[in-house]
Amino acid sequence: MSSPIHAEIVQVCRTCGGGAPVDVHFCPQCTKILRLGRQGDYFAFLGVPRQLNLDLAELEQRFRALSRQFHPDYFYNSSAAERVASLERSSYLNDAYRTLKQPISRISYLLELEGIWTSADKTGVNASKQVPPALLEEVFALNEELDEVRMLRESGAPADQWRPRLQHAAKPIEAKRAEHEEQLQTLAARWDALGEQPSAEDRKTVLNALRERMLERNYINNLLGTIERELNGSGLEASDSRPVPKPEV
Amino acid sequence: MSKVVGIDLGTTNSLVAYVRDGVPVVIRDKSGDALVPSIVSSSPDGTMFVGREAQRRLLTDANRTVYSVKRFMGKGVDDVKDEAKLLPFRVAGEAGGVVRIGLGDREFTPPEISALILRELKHRAEEFFASQGEIDSEVDRAVITVPAYFNDAQRTATRDAGRIAGLEVLRIINEPTAASLAYGLDKRHTGVIAVYDFGGGTFDISILRVEDGVFQVLATNGDTHLGGDDIDMLLVEQILLDLESEQPSYVVSGLSRTKTATAEQIQEIRKAVIRAKWDLSDQEETELLGKRITRTEFEQLIRPIVDRTLRPCLQALGDAQLDASEIDEIVLVGGSTRIPLVRRLVADLFGKTPHSELNPDEVVALGAAVQADILITGNRELLLLDVTPLSLGIETMGGVVSKIILRNSTIPATGSEMFTTGVDNQTAVDIHVLQGERELVGDNRSLARFKLRGIPPMPAGMPRVQVQFQIDANGILSVTATELRTNIQQAIEVKPSYGLTDEQVEQMLLDSFEHAEADFAARLLIDAKNEAESVVNATEKTFRSAEFAEVARTELAPGEQKRIEQALVGLKHVMLSSDREAILQWTKVLNDATQHLAEIMMNRSVKEALTGKNIEAL
Repeated sequence: MSSPIHAEIVQVCRTCGGGAPVDVHFCPQCTKILRLGRQGDYFAFLGVPRQLNLDLAELEQRFRALSRQFHPDYFYNSSAAERVASLERSSYLNDAYRTLKQPISRISYLLELEGIWTSADKTGVNASKQVPPALLEEVFALNEELDEVRMLRESGAPADQWRPRLQHAAKPIEAKRAEHEEQLQTLAARWDALGEQPSAEDRKTVLNALRERMLERNYINNLLGTIERELNGSGLEASDSRPVPKPEV
Repeated sequence: MSKVVGIDLGTTNSLVAYVRDGVPVVIRDKSGDALVPSIVSSSPDGTMFVGREAQRRLLTDANRTVYSVKRFMGKGVDDVKDEAKLLPFRVAGEAGGVVRIGLGDREFTPPEISALILRELKHRAEEFFASQGEIDSEVDRAVITVPAYFNDAQRTATRDAGRIAGLEVLRIINEPTAASLAYGLDKRHTGVIAVYDFGGGTFDISILRVEDGVFQVLATNGDTHLGGDDIDMLLVEQILLDLESEQPSYVVSGLSRTKTATAEQIQEIRKAVIRAKWDLSDQEETELLGKRITRTEFEQLIRPIVDRTLRPCLQALGDAQLDASEIDEIVLVGGSTRIPLVRRLVADLFGKTPHSELNPDEVVALGAAVQADILITGNRELLLLDVTPLSLGIETMGGVVSKIILRNSTIPATGSEMFTTGVDNQTAVDIHVLQGERELVGDNRSLARFKLRGIPPMPAGMPRVQVQFQIDANGILSVTATELRTNIQQAIEVKPSYGLTDEQVEQMLLDSFEHAEADFAARLLIDAKNEAESVVNATEKTFRSAEFAEVARTELAPGEQKRIEQALVGLKHVMLSSDREAILQWTKVLNDATQHLAEIMMNRSVKEALTGKNIEAL
């Protein structure tokens, strides 16, 4: 899904002053490594299509090949500008590879790139505040169970009385997560199948569906995390009693 | 061209290596010894000894001798309180500040002590290159290794040590990764390698994927306070405890139940313990201070220490998303991997016999030399892609850490975070940078506090300050900040929590130059005195010999004995001074005066050797 912007000159070589297309790493004129300016995106940088099912072997192979071109090890005797450029490009490459390697971070990156994933989504603020409608039933049941377990614990009941209940309560949530993984995969396949010239509406439908599933997924993970903490005996009460130092800003 | 080397700056021993015709070689001293004990000792007049000589002084001047300084790199006084009790040297420093170590009458920071060791290695390498007939034998650049699990403060302290020693530190690389590089040279293999590095003071586990000459670290874990030292300390403590009992099983001369062990006696016990530990690596039993000890008994004692290496291994496997059975090869590094129990444990964990073709003491230095060569020549055959061992974060509201760069991220890596102000017209923001995996600030390592200044006065919440964190290929952090609305680059004031400022490092480098001259002069004087002493000893030995009277009567020229005696008195007199020139002159006078006598004695001893023996026996 290359966009026409790639053909325009958007980078300026700090060594010779020449121009270069956005997803080119070395100056076409003087062959020196380019500073990281207005880079395209992780997909373009690694030279892979903006898709959600990537050939991981190919991704890794590209990562290694580009590492061999950018790594600071090979610029030790180069000019200061080239050394900075090598550090910038290596760092960006490492960040890009790490993000695209895992399916989940790949989806959230795509959503971010498409302007659909807000910073509130990213930090999980939304996830912790509103219960996704699809999860209302499970969350309600879990909260009841958690309340009872906490009461049991406070009354000094031994762990073997409440532990199995917690483990049991986690079951439907875990099932939901598995269900979500499948839904995410189906949506990912739908995104990849949109083809070269998808309508704006089609794109939006798939992306919004992906965002919703991702938010639900984060919510589910938070729930499972809560259960995990309860199992380890460091429940919410403990974390609420933390000292609250003066805010930094 | 000046020379480039790779240095393994170890807890117990340090080594230096270089690449000759594409092959890494460890540099040895004249007696073939590659290891420089990481020990520094100071004589009452301030002369510094490093290495073997300093090690000998542990038994005579324990209180003026420092070892295992690597354990204190990048640490604060509060971190090392417990451990300092068992050591013969003073560990001090201001609360909340960097450790200071008493050595003789002065106090040094750990990077300064490490710099003395690095200087010794530099000197050894330079002497070696000069002996090879190199025109420019100066060593001014080096790759220095650190444990993979070293945090930013410990890495920075190591880099500072290099700078204080007058070396340009080309790169700080991780010890297990360096080892894999040394192993990967002759075998162009593809697969997943686990490097188990159990040294004198630190433990590391690194898991790497090797393909097309790229050594990519997938995960690393470890304990920077776990090594052979802990085994030694445990045994020393046991013996001291035993010596206090009614009927002790161990015998230490001059030490009884009622007497407290001196620093020197503790060192003597420690030396015996280390010897027994070595013995038990290839013997079933040995003697330790008058008591028989079997390998089984020894293993029972040290098992808890060795078991502490397991959790990091499992954590690293988990982070690499691999099962132990998916590891193709295991490489052992570090002296402590000679212990059979350690080998069994590793073999059991991975279900495979580990590699140990290369000397586990030397493999790290070899790898460092390879990396130095890559940096200098730009040779692109091999590439190391390492990771940051610990997550990097900043303090946010409520004393909670917000992670910005996660552990096991391939380096170099970047991360950024947006800040704003809390009150109107606020022009500065405090930022606290931490390293570690825990949620609360207090449970992580404080790296530095930054103050962002010069934020344009605006209503609260309006400024958008983007703070960019960059971890470079050394695993060392740098921070820049920009106010996005005005695009103004912010001034950053760094206060390293447990480190030295650039100015301090600069000053130490200058100080070390002054001392280097003094140290160099001291070294030359010692050499001259040693030479003089050997001539004096040889002459006096001849005078004392049974046949000398006869020789003097029959073979020496008139007045010859008198001349020798005068030269002898003269040399012994100047030897009491610190006048190197005079010592050298009088040494020559005595040498010349005894030349004829030496020839006579030589001839006589040859004749004597021949008498009474038939031709066949010769």
